[in-house]
Amino acid sequence: MTALARPVALPSRSRVRVSRTLRGIALWVIRTIAIVVPVFLFATFVTYLLGAASGLSPAGLKLGDAATTADVARVNAQLGLDQPLIVRYGTWLGQILHGNLGTSWFNDLPVAPQLFERLGISVSIAGYALIIGVVFGFALGLLAAVRRGTWVDRVITAFATLISTLPPFVVAIVLIIVFCITLRWLPSGGYVSPTVNVGEWLTLITLPAIALSLDTVADLARQLRTGLVAAYDDHYVTGAIVRGFSRRRVLFVHVLRNGAGPALSVLGLRAPALIGGAVVTESIFGMEGFGRFGSESALRGDVPVVQGVLVVAIVLVLVFNLVVNALLARLLPASRRGI
Amino acid sequence: MFRRAIRSPLGATSAAIIAVVVVLSVLGPLIAPYDPLAQDAAHILASPSAAHWLGTDYVGRDVLSRLLDGSPLSLLSAAEAVGIAFALGVTPGLLSVYLGRVFEWISLRVIDALITLPFLVFAIAMTALLGNGLQQAMFAVGILIAPAFYRVTRAAALSAAGSQYVEAARLAGASPLWVLRTHLWGKVAPSVAVTTANSMAAGLVIVSSLTFLGIGVQPPAPTWGGILADDLGYLFQQPFGPLYPTIIIMVIVGALNGFADALRDTSGITGHVRLLGRRRSRPRRSAAINPALEVTNG
Amino acid sequence: MARLHRPKTSTKVAIVALAAAASLLLAGCAGAATAATGKSAVLKWGFSLPTSWDPVTSSTGNDINTISLVYASLTKLNPEGKAEPGLATSWKYNKSGDAVTFTLRPGLTFSDGTALDANAVKESLLRGQTQTNSLLKDQLSTIKSIAVVDKTHVTLNLVQPDYQVPNLLAGKTGAIVSPKAFATSKSTAGIPTNPDGAGPFKFKSFVPESNAVLVKNDNYWDAKDVHIDELDLSVAPDPSTVIAAVQTGSLDVASLPATEIAAAKAAGLKVDVVNSLTVSQVDVNSTLAPLTNAKVVEALKYAVDREQLLKVANAGVGSVTYQPFPKGYIAYNPSLDTEYAYDPTKARALLAAAGIKPGTLTITITAQAYSQATAELVQSQLKKVGVDAKIALVPVGSSTWQQSVYLARTAQFALDGTVGRESPVQNLGVVYGPTGLMNTSRSASPDFLAALDKVRETPLDSPDYASVLQSAVKLGVLQASSFSLYSTPRIDVRSPKVSALPHYLSQFRWEGVTVKQ
Repeated sequence: MTALARPVALPSRSRVRVSRTLRGIALWVIRTIAIVVPVFLFATFVTYLLGAASGLSPAGLKLGDAATTADVARVNAQLGLDQPLIVRYGTWLGQILHGNLGTSWFNDLPVAPQLFERLGISVSIAGYALIIGVVFGFALGLLAAVRRGTWVDRVITAFATLISTLPPFVVAIVLIIVFCITLRWLPSGGYVSPTVNVGEWLTLITLPAIALSLDTVADLARQLRTGLVAAYDDHYVTGAIVRGFSRRRVLFVHVLRNGAGPALSVLGLRAPALIGGAVVTESIFGMEGFGRFGSESALRGDVPVVQGVLVVAIVLVLVFNLVVNALLARLLPASRRGI
Repeated sequence: MFRRAIRSPLGATSAAIIAVVVVLSVLGPLIAPYDPLAQDAAHILASPSAAHWLGTDYVGRDVLSRLLDGSPLSLLSAAEAVGIAFALGVTPGLLSVYLGRVFEWISLRVIDALITLPFLVFAIAMTALLGNGLQQAMFAVGILIAPAFYRVTRAAALSAAGSQYVEAARLAGASPLWVLRTHLWGKVAPSVAVTTANSMAAGLVIVSSLTFLGIGVQPPAPTWGGILADDLGYLFQQPFGPLYPTIIIMVIVGALNGFADALRDTSGITGHVRLLGRRRSRPRRSAAINPALEVTNG
Repeated sequence: MARLHRPKTSTKVAIVALAAAASLLLAGCAGAATAATGKSAVLKWGFSLPTSWDPVTSSTGNDINTISLVYASLTKLNPEGKAEPGLATSWKYNKSGDAVTFTLRPGLTFSDGTALDANAVKESLLRGQTQTNSLLKDQLSTIKSIAVVDKTHVTLNLVQPDYQVPNLLAGKTGAIVSPKAFATSKSTAGIPTNPDGAGPFKFKSFVPESNAVLVKNDNYWDAKDVHIDELDLSVAPDPSTVIAAVQTGSLDVASLPATEIAAAKAAGLKVDVVNSLTVSQVDVNSTLAPLTNAKVVEALKYAVDREQLLKVANAGVGSVTYQPFPKGYIAYNPSLDTEYAYDPTKARALLAAAGIKPGTLTITITAQAYSQATAELVQSQLKKVGVDAKIALVPVGSSTWQQSVYLARTAQFALDGTVGRESPVQNLGVVYGPTGLMNTSRSASPDFLAALDKVRETPLDSPDYASVLQSAVKLGVLQASSFSLYSTPRIDVRSPKVSALPHYLSQFRWEGVTVKQ
């Protein structure tokens, strides 16, 4: 990438390399688009299908008690619900691509602004959880790998195993009991926007973020440890050690580069859980986030909101995975072939 | 492959725990000291005693009896979800290696799309919009776990299909079905078994989360997740209440995951998976990765 | 090979990373100490948001608690449930009782700055009568026409003598909405999310289905008694964490299940147990088989052990009642005290008389998720008289309740409850009236309806009022297929920095409440 900024007067050999790199990037972009677009289309189609298959219609909600069959048919026709499924999906997708997520059947307000109001909460928690997850997960995984076979390794592995057996709501409630009721360090619920009070915002999102991150910490630590331990056993690492490279150089240049791939992949897989999946955490900590909004709307039968939540989550997950894959491509050039 | 896994200490312990739980869940309804639905209004939220080893719940039912009686339903519901995931994941996973590029490409994109969906929100939406019941919830969970089965099956099938003996068999004129039965299944089965164990564990946790949110519950029939969610509502009156179902869930989930680990270690499964993924699996000896579920908190 | 080395430097790197991670968390904790609130009195209330901030389209009785934050009504009930001056200082009926003239306070204004005068009152009430999606039409149908006498006097001409009107207008029905809100915009779409009233508070911000921030309205007629500068209303968290939320200051006041009273007190919090009009009830839909058989319905009334429900599911807080009013209220008829007292033998006999053998009858109990314990108890009680019951739980916040119990009326046996209404006649209408939401059978006997009319025609200060009202209650109870279970007080947990909440029978009110900062 840095080569691009250099002046034109390059030796011919690096010019070749530049054009090869460019072609590589272009290929990567094309392949990525060829994968992301159909995935987006199919995921949104499933989302749309879900609403359609529910058989719910705003007619029931709008007309209430005195609705006759004719009334329902009239409202359905007004909303275009009498057209074939694929046509309706097309119309709906067209609106989505223009940023129009429709109107809630429950409160008659546009869906998009309601979603984005809550997205701040969820992105705060998920982002914070991701930071905690990455920092602690990498630190613990690294520590376990470099101290493999010792008690440190065993404690970390045991912790990671324990965490993954716990239902998330138990984790959240235990955190509340410890940090809110017993130690009284942190509040147990609510949300304040960082634009209002940064300190309070941090205080409020800390516990939910920890609750949400534990799974990621455990997973990342486990995967990183496995990857690194395996990489340490590889012949080239042995070779590097034999050649007398410093331990730090061996770890960062050889081991981490080759052993961290799986852990990064896990991070990509974690995104859907972090972004849309904080439902349990949000409901325990009394935060009106994005995931909770989606699940409450599902219970209310508010199909447009549910679809909106899923579509936004899909977009976020796709973007996040593109970033992870780009990182992977830089870290492990071989994996560029994959996407 | 199971025999070898059971010989390792981890595998043996895990298998023993799983066996005990399965036996208990078969015998549970028979050995339960009380009727799990019998209420005793005079003794609600009682602490453990000689009469009630684990105390009583909020309407005076014997906790031990409920946990025992609830085990078949808890295990079966998780097994049902895994069964659906198995059916939807394994076959396309195998076929994706043989049916040519078009099927491969389409099935890969469908699986990517399913992984993209936010797990718990989608499960809730599906359950709530299609009628709030245990069956709907299990179906939703099954569909969402299916990608894990697809991916491990495909990865294992790919690596085996590229091996020389498979090629030799094919050159010798063996039918694809014969190759599948004799050579491939033996390679794919351990991966699928690992995923099954991991998915059972994840299924139990997910079902208890859904129950906690009031999705797919049908009282008074007890399930571990249901008992846990109910008891949490009485945390302040009976702090130990939620402890027992939590421990049971932790132990069985731990045992299932432990067994999966033992299986993987002893059958030398390799390869890792990622979203929006690769077209050709690149087995790496160095990256023995659990490709199964990364969705428990979804 | 590599295992021979113990790479110390890498360990250090990992430890530094851990330390960095820990400091991240500490930053969060430090925030707790520095998070300062202003000097103004802020109260955080965890409750529920109204189904609509428009009193005309709000669809549940419970909404009065939040609607009354932003709207003032013509009258206001005193703690005992008697109508007292609100926006109107006084009212006077004509001799025949079919017209009542309200005298408004002078110089009232809405939060949007426009004048609240007799004309505004007329416009606001007319909207409730005419707007197509109005849910107040039924209550307001007693008004034939509205005449503006002068700026501060408005006369309501009634279709029949009706002395309940001042009580009726203390609630959502009499909440006065600024005509500017529905005159300027062509539609009324703005009101449900951006109300303009003349209540104790006005909107600062609102996130639908999430929270509302309200600030004190200095133009409220009783502003001198409001000592809260900002009221943050949010949806209450999961019940298992309510106490923790108040303990840590996330909330200052929240509703509390009776079973948690002891735990809240042990945590050093204050608990208010306030008499209320809330009565639990089973909505029995007698249009659905097998409940079309009157003997079966009667058997169910005797089969439910209300004492046990109260004791086990409600920690013994409250008292059994066989009518939709609590003991001590003017409408409470003591002669109903043993009307359907628990009698499983009689229940079995009634079922046998209906030709039903034990174990052959199956019904479905529909209950909200938070009534799960009650539902399970009832299920086991019904089992004792030979009725098998399934339980259908409706998750918290699900629209299924409104849809299937109230609108589609597909629930046979729904565990419900009324929070009461400002006028006892209105409450009887809701639970037993032919269009009453909780009367899922949608039928009422002519005798009962005639008795209701007689109550309307009786002045509230008449010596006969109590007895006329109570006999209507008795007629209603005896003809209804639904039946009452027990009355419960309103229980809330509050932080010690908040003063005790006043004891209003009909709703939460914040006049006189102070917050120490």
